[in-house]
Amino acid sequence: MTLLHVVLQVVVVVALLHIIGLYTFVPVRDVRSLLSDAQTNARDVAPTALLFGIVLLANGFIRDAGVELSWLIGVNITGRIHALEGQFVATLQSYATPELTALFSFAYIFGYVFILTFPVVLYVFHDTKPLLTTLVAYSLNYAIGLGSYVLFVAYGPRNYMPELVESLLYTSWPQAQLLTSQVNVNTNVFPSLHASLAVTVALIAYRFRGRYGQWHSVAIVLATLIAVSTMYLGIHWLTDVIGGVVLAVLSVSIATRIVDGNRNRTAIRPRIRRRLRQL
Amino acid sequence: MTHLTARRRALLGAIGSGTITLTGGCLRQARSLTGWESSQQVRLRIKTVPDDADPYALTLARTVADWFRAAGIDTSITPMSEQELHRQTLLRNEFDLFLMRLPPRFTDPDALYTLLHSRFAEDPGWQNPFGYANLDVDDHLETQRRTNGSQRRDALRQLQLTAARTQPFTLLTVPDDVRAVRTTNYSNWRASSLDSSLGYLSLERSDDVDSETGGTLRVAITDRRATTNLNPLSVEFRRTGTLTGLVYDPLGYVFQDRLMPWLAETWEFSDDRSSTAQVTIRKGATWHDGKALTADDVAFTYRLLSDTTLGSDSDEETAPLPSPRYRGRSSLVANVNPIGDRTVEFQFADVTPSVARRAFTVPILPEHIWKERTDVASIAGIQTGSVTEALVTNNIPPVGSGPLRFVRNTPREEVVFERFDDHVLHQVDSPINDLVDQAGDAAFDTLSIQVVGSDVTAAEMVANDTADVTGTPVGADVIPRIGRRSESELLVQRSSSAYVLGYNTRNQHLNNPRFRHTLARLIDGEYIADAIVDGYGRPAVGPLWDTEWYPSELQWEERNPIANFLGSEGEIDVARARAAFREAGYRYEDGKLVGGRT
Repeated sequence: MTLLHVVLQVVVVVALLHIIGLYTFVPVRDVRSLLSDAQTNARDVAPTALLFGIVLLANGFIRDAGVELSWLIGVNITGRIHALEGQFVATLQSYATPELTALFSFAYIFGYVFILTFPVVLYVFHDTKPLLTTLVAYSLNYAIGLGSYVLFVAYGPRNYMPELVESLLYTSWPQAQLLTSQVNVNTNVFPSLHASLAVTVALIAYRFRGRYGQWHSVAIVLATLIAVSTMYLGIHWLTDVIGGVVLAVLSVSIATRIVDGNRNRTAIRPRIRRRLRQL
Repeated sequence: MTHLTARRRALLGAIGSGTITLTGGCLRQARSLTGWESSQQVRLRIKTVPDDADPYALTLARTVADWFRAAGIDTSITPMSEQELHRQTLLRNEFDLFLMRLPPRFTDPDALYTLLHSRFAEDPGWQNPFGYANLDVDDHLETQRRTNGSQRRDALRQLQLTAARTQPFTLLTVPDDVRAVRTTNYSNWRASSLDSSLGYLSLERSDDVDSETGGTLRVAITDRRATTNLNPLSVEFRRTGTLTGLVYDPLGYVFQDRLMPWLAETWEFSDDRSSTAQVTIRKGATWHDGKALTADDVAFTYRLLSDTTLGSDSDEETAPLPSPRYRGRSSLVANVNPIGDRTVEFQFADVTPSVARRAFTVPILPEHIWKERTDVASIAGIQTGSVTEALVTNNIPPVGSGPLRFVRNTPREEVVFERFDDHVLHQVDSPINDLVDQAGDAAFDTLSIQVVGSDVTAAEMVANDTADVTGTPVGADVIPRIGRRSESELLVQRSSSAYVLGYNTRNQHLNNPRFRHTLARLIDGEYIADAIVDGYGRPAVGPLWDTEWYPSELQWEERNPIANFLGSEGEIDVARARAAFREAGYRYEDGKLVGGRT
């Protein structure tokens, strides 16, 4: 069991989930028109996608440098978070059962990858607006989250009160750590990007509900599971999750404003020009 | 600070509200009131590493914090990476209390010289990080360097008794190092402790090494620092120096409680009391880059360790800048002169030969590489104060003369070494001793150090045949996991590296030995050994507990003989704790420990 095995496992499971999802939420249409729609949509959002790609790349590069910088200028708030919320996570974990652990581990790894990738695929077959909103909101999440990781150094509950909180994910599935340590650093817990990105998807799904069957219900349930899983597994504090939800609301509202603004501006501009000319 | 502004605010408020008239008498009273500082609850902050980095440190910190809180002390814990912890405590002295493992070298009595002598209180690294100053202790430390036999024994006894009473640090527990090992590819795991280089060099290859791994020894560790820095002189990046010890050769190793020649062929101390020795290095020693290792390199190493600027700025009255690591050992040496290619003459400071020979255990560094590193270090051309390049370089790739040669590193993931075929001990005519016989030849062709997130993952990699051993010890809670799989075996070794709670004696309250002594009495060593390390460890009073130098008065017999726990079975007896602190001059207000003028 190496890293490669874990990655393969995730890819296969998430691909399966995608197929099921597409089959469920995309109305049956002519495949050719679907594909041509996807092509035009993809072309329309290409600049935004590029932006998101740059943010992701920067995230990869900066993450390591950010950790160094964080130790230099960041504030270590682990103790303060603990003083704020006490043993909430430990209480949550006291309800642990093997079944719940399996469910939440699944949500944390597979559910998370699915909820991040599926909307992009779903929306590309339909409409550019939710797609644009999603990409802009993702970029904002990463950018703000990363800044926050530099400013705040904090360890999760499993690292701070090991006698009360078990690293349930890693004790039940140790290989998962080979994967998570590739994309996470254990001092980057505030805010929870797991929670913020999942809630972002749910908020956007809810905003555009009606067009994609029950996708918004699935997204809301899955996002809730993911947010709870981060605490249940001892990785995040309640404070991180609340911070994540706030970040999600902020990102979605800014993204909505940007995307809607762009639309209106194209309509407004000729009018303004006409006004100016009259003046 | 906060209470000061609070008081000032109260005063200003009183003046501002007009409830008092500003008569001369009133001002006089206000003035005399300010002479009486209000006292505040005693606040202590413990710095330590998170659970991912060490299996016990954080649990220990939380247990100790609970005991301190029971006695009315406001206690908080700040977890940080090991590198950051070293920077904040050992380099910058920014701490109240730290909780970490004392490096294994402090089981040698003379190592206590730099750990506790007051003249090292301002020095960086493991040089008296506590800022501890006790003139009696200073005297005992100096006496033990200069004397032999019963005189030395007595000095060390007095020293340990005083330290145990005044508590510059409290020894919490001496854990066993628990590891998961695979015995299919390599054997002889029990020959030597794996927190020293000799542990790895003593391994033997099984006849049926599976072809897939092909002579690679795979080590899973939770400490990522070695993947980004292999400088043997770095304060923040070294724990035990096991890996750098495989790359660099010392003149001798302590093997089965005796110092034996390694890179040196022989050493001879002069018969008179002039404290000199002639050391001859083995024939045919070479560096990993092919250059010959000569007496000049040996002499250079000791000069560099005692002053990493090599006196290059000696036109001014600049102080020497010794390497914090190996400071104790370099301080034994007054002068080293090469005599010919293979012989070096050591002139020691005023120390006996039995203490002096400890100087032979430092790593020998190549002059042609390190002489370029004596300038003051700079970031982007800006000089950053009193530190030389030698102390802060990441030293990748390292060029040593040791049994292993560096191959490649992937930061935060992996570092790989290979067997150095031209190692001096592979020369056919090299004289042999027991040490060379056991550890002279590495049994593996490649050593791959892989970083993992936690001890559980490390143990799991051993079970899954992706690693042969967990390089960093694992916690007792991982043991059932190791026993469950037939392929992995449990390796329990007595460790020489104790968990200590270090006090910053420069700080308020902690500068008071009686206060520290009372703090130590809030710690239940028995409970820690039973409940936290689950029996895989033992309580002790001082770091020399396992040596012949440990006085009988400090022997642990079901309780701490000096700082007796103020409670039982891990529970503080609050009434007794309060009485003890009251006796030390402190008060209680609403159950809070209050004291001192702040």
